[in-house]
Amino acid sequence: MAAERSKKRKRDQEEAIAKIKKGKEAKKKASKKKKRGSGDDSGSDYDLVEDMYKKAKKLPGQLENCELCDKRFTVTPYSKAGPEGGLLCTPCGKEIAKEAKANQKTAKPIVRKGRRKIESNRLDGLTQRGVRSLRQICINQLAKHAEDIEEFGEMPETMIDRLSEIFSKRRAMNSTTLKLFLQSDLDKLAIHEAAYLETEDFDQIFAVIPNIKKLVLRNCCQFKDKNIEYMIEKAKKLEEIELRGANLVSNDKWTELFIARGHDLKSFKVEWLDAAFDDQAVEALTTFCPNLERLKLERCKLLGVDTLDAVSRLEKLEHLSLRFSKDVPRDRLVLMVDQIGPNLRTLCLEHFVNNTFEESEEMGEYSDDAILETIHDTCVKLRKLRFTENYECSDQAYVNLFTSWSNPPLRYIDVNSTRDVDNASPEGPEDFPIGLASDGFQALMKHSGSQLQYLDISSCRHISKETFADIFNGEKQYPHLQEINLSFCPVVDTEVVAGIFRSCPQIKKVVTFACFQVEDVVVPRGIVLIGAPKAQDAIEQFGETVFDFQKELKKEMERDMAIATGRVVPLMA
Amino acid sequence: MAETKISEYVTLVSNDGYEFKILRSAACVAGTIRKAMDPASGFKEAIESRMTFENLNGLVLEQVCLYLYYHQKHAEARDVPDPDVPQELLLELLMAAEYLQV
Repeated sequence: MAAERSKKRKRDQEEAIAKIKKGKEAKKKASKKKKRGSGDDSGSDYDLVEDMYKKAKKLPGQLENCELCDKRFTVTPYSKAGPEGGLLCTPCGKEIAKEAKANQKTAKPIVRKGRRKIESNRLDGLTQRGVRSLRQICINQLAKHAEDIEEFGEMPETMIDRLSEIFSKRRAMNSTTLKLFLQSDLDKLAIHEAAYLETEDFDQIFAVIPNIKKLVLRNCCQFKDKNIEYMIEKAKKLEEIELRGANLVSNDKWTELFIARGHDLKSFKVEWLDAAFDDQAVEALTTFCPNLERLKLERCKLLGVDTLDAVSRLEKLEHLSLRFSKDVPRDRLVLMVDQIGPNLRTLCLEHFVNNTFEESEEMGEYSDDAILETIHDTCVKLRKLRFTENYECSDQAYVNLFTSWSNPPLRYIDVNSTRDVDNASPEGPEDFPIGLASDGFQALMKHSGSQLQYLDISSCRHISKETFADIFNGEKQYPHLQEINLSFCPVVDTEVVAGIFRSCPQIKKVVTFACFQVEDVVVPRGIVLIGAPKAQDAIEQFGETVFDFQKELKKEMERDMAIATGRVVPLMA
Repeated sequence: MAETKISEYVTLVSNDGYEFKILRSAACVAGTIRKAMDPASGFKEAIESRMTFENLNGLVLEQVCLYLYYHQKHAEARDVPDPDVPQELLLELLMAAEYLQV
């Protein structure tokens, strides 16, 4: 039954298709007729006469002389038309078809290779024009043929670093290629992607380079206790250690390392540790290594309040970056900054949100803004400040921070994602703005505008359009600002972006993801604008136009270009 | 000799005696050559418009010259593909590039 039905359906379908085909043909014929008719109508009498004298085209089966070779042949439905409109014999037709095909091939558009690569470079903000430097080209080529190289020979250290970066980016750093980088006369080694390296390879490092002073290993998953032991035994001159993702090292071994390196250790950075490395390890670090100048503890799951207390004992600390997974009480954070603030040159506090109070009643004196107040009161040497993902500190706190601050103007400010988070009122409280808002931004630029090189205020959603327009009005100048991120600031529009181009002579990169009012910007030359919101626009727009205000700077730019050609741009493969 | 006549071409000489005459503008893409050829410097190289490289052989210097012209030709273009570099010369060329600052 079912089979019969399907058969019927099939038949119906076929009939329908046949009908459609027929219809189409009929239409074609009709249109042809019409065309001819209309042609006759509009054509002159002469055309008509010519038409009459023209021989009718031969039909299949009839005989005809080939247009090209004049041979007589039988016309078939497949006979090709010649260049003059006549018919061709089979061999000539084949020849013509061949030629046509060859022509078609050459006319095909050349598909550019590596388009994805180019786009990726653009998104990385590499605005370079012209050819890349010969060094860059060679290094990329070398990394491509990583497996074939036997040794680097006498290579300058900077080149080794660059090679290592590019090998890492290509994930070409393995047991074989690592050996290329181990040269006994080096005093530092940076492997940015060590995931393919085995435990034995890490031992190799210390065996070959016992004088190593600085070690950077990222994603060193197989770095184990016995590597630490060997490192302690061999590398007696280590001063700077950075290990990311070394989760197979136990707490005791960390402590042993700190005891062994002791006063020599200047810089210690760890990230992405969750199996070990707890407060006690940090305690040991601060006890045995009092000379630490740089400390970075980020995304280490076990760290909590006691770490803050331990860090506050490091009197020589100059650069500090913290990002905790646990909530820590605000007052302890304040105490820490209070202790070590005066010496700090870099302070990065990321993701310190929702700071709960341990004993909320007693600590009532610490308001939401206490941390910024403390930074204002204690820090006087800061060059770089990062304070992100906070939704408690008020705009007034930022105003207070940047107003009559004895700290010199900052070089680097990142206050992204400091805003009120409340689904019910996306605009935040209007009378009492939370996060960096209009007034805070004004104060910030007033304080640091003269030296600022990098500014990230993405997701600072409460800054008003008037503020942007006033700060980047073209008259106020920010002579050193090179990079600015305004993503997710909904009020930013074309005018603001144009203002930035005028107010910041050195600007290289403007990021405006999700700024939907930025449209049809004419990007000046040498600047890249990233994050065009419309899908049909290119995500990044490169400046081509030379503006009047740029002409004055042209000489300067040319000089810069000359400098730039001699410089190696970081991580470009 | 305050005003040395600036010739349009300069001569680069390799350590095995090959001479390459190339446009001054192209040669000056390389920082080291630019500094040596700066008329204000009064260096012998600048006066003679001729520079000898004791550490580069003809093969490498040839590649360098190719690159210098390639660089000049595409100075204004964007997304320029990398020029082809013979694999066996890569390391030597890298050292040369480091030395010449290109």
